[in-house]
Amino acid sequence: MLWIKNVNLVDPTQGLSGVRDVVVRDGIISAIQERLQEQDVLAVLGTARIEEVQQIDGSGKYLFSGLIDVHVHLREPGQEDKEDIRSGSRAAVRGGFTSILAMANTSPVIDQRALVEFVRIQGQRAGMARVYPIAAVTKGFKGLELVEMMDMRDGGAVGFSDDGKGIQNAEMMRLALEYAKLTGCPIISHCEDNDLAGNGVMRRGEESARLGLRGIPASAESVMVARDVLLAGETGGKIHIAHVSTKESVQIIRAAKNIGIDVTAEVNPHHLLLTDKDVTLTGTSFKVNPPLPSMEDQEALLQGLADGTIDMLATDHAPHTWEEKAKPFAEAPFGINALETALAAVWQGLVVKGLLSPEQVVKLWSLNPARRFGLAGGTIQVGSAADMVLFDPLYKEMITAESLESKAQNTPFLGKEMQGFPVMTWVNGELLMENRKILDRK
Amino acid sequence: MKWKRKDLLDLENLTAEEIKHILHTAIPMKEILGRPIKKLPTLRGKSVVLLFYESSTRTRTSFENAAKILGADTTNFSVAQSSVNKGESLLDTAKTLQAMNVDLVIVRHSSSGSAEFLADILNAGVINGGDGQHAHPTQALLDYFTIQDHLGGFEGKKVVIVGDILHSRVARSNVVGLKKLGAEVTLVGPPTLLPPEMKYLGVKISHHLDQELPGADAVMALRLQLERQQSGLFPSIREYSKLYGLNKERIKLTGKDTIVMHPGPMNRGVEIASDLADSVQSVIEEQVTNGVAVRMALIYLLIGGGTVNVVD
Ligand SMILES: [Zn+2]
Repeated sequence: MLWIKNVNLVDPTQGLSGVRDVVVRDGIISAIQERLQEQDVLAVLGTARIEEVQQIDGSGKYLFSGLIDVHVHLREPGQEDKEDIRSGSRAAVRGGFTSILAMANTSPVIDQRALVEFVRIQGQRAGMARVYPIAAVTKGFKGLELVEMMDMRDGGAVGFSDDGKGIQNAEMMRLALEYAKLTGCPIISHCEDNDLAGNGVMRRGEESARLGLRGIPASAESVMVARDVLLAGETGGKIHIAHVSTKESVQIIRAAKNIGIDVTAEVNPHHLLLTDKDVTLTGTSFKVNPPLPSMEDQEALLQGLADGTIDMLATDHAPHTWEEKAKPFAEAPFGINALETALAAVWQGLVVKGLLSPEQVVKLWSLNPARRFGLAGGTIQVGSAADMVLFDPLYKEMITAESLESKAQNTPFLGKEMQGFPVMTWVNGELLMENRKILDRK
Repeated sequence: MKWKRKDLLDLENLTAEEIKHILHTAIPMKEILGRPIKKLPTLRGKSVVLLFYESSTRTRTSFENAAKILGADTTNFSVAQSSVNKGESLLDTAKTLQAMNVDLVIVRHSSSGSAEFLADILNAGVINGGDGQHAHPTQALLDYFTIQDHLGGFEGKKVVIVGDILHSRVARSNVVGLKKLGAEVTLVGPPTLLPPEMKYLGVKISHHLDQELPGADAVMALRLQLERQQSGLFPSIREYSKLYGLNKERIKLTGKDTIVMHPGPMNRGVEIASDLADSVQSVIEEQVTNGVAVRMALIYLLIGGGTVNVVD
């Protein structure tokens, strides 16, 4: 039993943003009111003993519905040296995420029901964030045959994606969008034309030219975004565009929404906060795919967020070992470790600067993901499960390898002090993180 | 001036004064090269490692000669005979070199930034002998030495560099330093090999060689990697040569006693015709000699500490 007092409750579903008391009983939100009295709380909770109620002073802090990240790489099975479902879901909870969608590019790739169930069960065993598997679109990521989509959905998959590489064959993508209608789940598209991307390692432009690094033109993404929204329109299928990073992609998605195509899109915090100008020859933590955008692209992404073209934030949490990243830039793998720094980065980089409101953050990182993927959560209202995060905008922390729950440390924020962190995270009413530390279950 | 740097990774961070100091130091070095007995005790007991991940006999030999003439011991840590083939990471190689306590590492590697990567780890000095498409500072410096020798300086001199600029570390490094020295640089090549992003260099970009030649004091042809034709970057050697190949007739368009340069090795008949390469206007062989002198100067500055007199 839990009583959070005087907290700034932000819940876009109810259009609510104000100071409230929140009472939780048996994992369910039982009351939301202004300045509750002790006897009211006891009545709601059906108890006479106030000692049984955990009381938390929420003043000066925000209460958000738990964040939902639709794009994480947990690396299990097969690459547990980078991350596993346990460490990744702990990192999630530490970062304020109560639900995460695990991408299928593991080894083996998640292309059978048994593997979907394995990921789900490993998530339950870890007992941290809710782990929802994303299944592959094609068997073995080969782009040749569809997976058994219905069986995998029944096993717990909430979406389909060959993320990690794009589906190069347009007919394959068309068939996937068509067939996935049976499941009601979206196809998540990693838009990258392999021929255009070539062996590029950063965004093509003056910065890549200066560093002598091979460039990936913006068109490598945008042409596939255009293809996929057209195919979604033609088939009536559901498409979700992963990690949008170019101006042209934003324009195409905006136009597609205007003509009623069922498309949603996500953007990664690093694409909103860093640009190709931040890339250096030895800064492999800044090597990510899609690559860090140009300034102009970044402005378009922020505009897309503001006008609703982009529906959600997602981390694309991509852990890699230190050894893998300790290489010359072109040889290091793509990916940024993000779950534990993303909210702080967005808060100090966008919210504090007035580019995004706290209400938008909750909408983009909790409500909209829940709606698009049909998940629990995304709201704090009476009767809903208590997936919540208490956020302290003043909390400061130095990002160090030791403090991270993730096995990896490939974050551009390593060694930097950040401000604005979740200080408590509940999943289903259970407190799993307090004062930036995971509470291990008995 | 007193030399303070541990490494030479690129020309971005060097001042014009530092560049001139290197060129100045190379003058007595070149004089030594002309002697019958070319061996100095200056760097006796110093160890120089040549770490070459890309085969380049020319550059490696040039560095090796430079170090040996100065009396240093050289070790070849090259692809064929080392753990490089067995897939040892650059990080582990760096740790090995660190443990061997060498004085100077000269590295050539196909990845941009590999020289900086090594320099960050090693206490030893590092000279970038060419890293990916990023930089080739010693080639640029030997080109400056050659230009200075023939043109007497850089201020107001027009230098045309023609070829595959996009993939060329030679062109990048050359432009960076030439601008600092006050030369006027024009880059020429087909749009696929000289795309718009190269404007970051802040010099004139052109796709029409014949329009740019008038008034040029030095023209440098870059080596064309012939396999780029397979990648579709240019339609044929024939067309490339017709549009961008240097020859005796075409060079007359400069209207001057222009010097003709090439970093080597040449594709004769492709980017440069033999009649021109072997003509009096060509300084290509001098570039090779100057390469040794400039590399001697650098090695001396980096590990000689300026404490010993170079010449006797
Ligand atoms: Zn992806």
